[in-house]
Amino acid sequence: MEGLELTAFQIISAVGTARSCYIEAIQMAKKHEFEKAEKSIAEGDEMFNEGHAAHLGLLQKEAEGTGQGINLLILHAEDQLMSAEGFKIIALEFIDVYKKFKAMEK
Amino acid sequence: MMRKIVLLCASGMSTSMLVKKMEEAAAVMNYECNISAFPTSEASKRGADADIILLGPQVRFDLNKIKKQCPGVIVEAIDMRMYGRMDGTGVVEFAKAKLGD
Repeated sequence: MEGLELTAFQIISAVGTARSCYIEAIQMAKKHEFEKAEKSIAEGDEMFNEGHAAHLGLLQKEAEGTGQGINLLILHAEDQLMSAEGFKIIALEFIDVYKKFKAMEK
Repeated sequence: MMRKIVLLCASGMSTSMLVKKMEEAAAVMNYECNISAFPTSEASKRGADADIILLGPQVRFDLNKIKKQCPGVIVEAIDMRMYGRMDGTGVVEFAKAKLGD
């Protein structure tokens, strides 16, 4: 496997891991493990940046006119990227809400 | 003994490409196995009689839920580096090791 296909899988793998990290952060916050949740967000960010860099590389190639076109796999990779991005926002909101729950329980 | 390996991801799309790579690798290794890919929504239907279920990085967060849906089945997440490289050999070796083959 090489070229565009490989890049697509690098993106799917990296942002897919990020998405899992963000959702795991919500699961941890639900158990009031806020330190772990924040660590999971940080790990997710690292993975997301990796996927984002690979995606940026594709955009730059396209801008230079040396892009390799579009296939379904690249669309799927972008879909995963957007999903991860959305889940980060939701995870941060959830962590806040669970912190408020914890404060109210006292 | 023929092993049944089930891969799960969000839609079954990216893992189905890994299936091909794994089948090629298993043939080279002479490892008898049946490998298939499905979305996580079909976990209990497709995974209950598997020997091992492997999860794509994007559904790793569902690991505990799938363990409950498929009691007695080994459930593991695929290493994200192997997944990103579509390393069929690496994933087959990982499954073999987890199954003790």
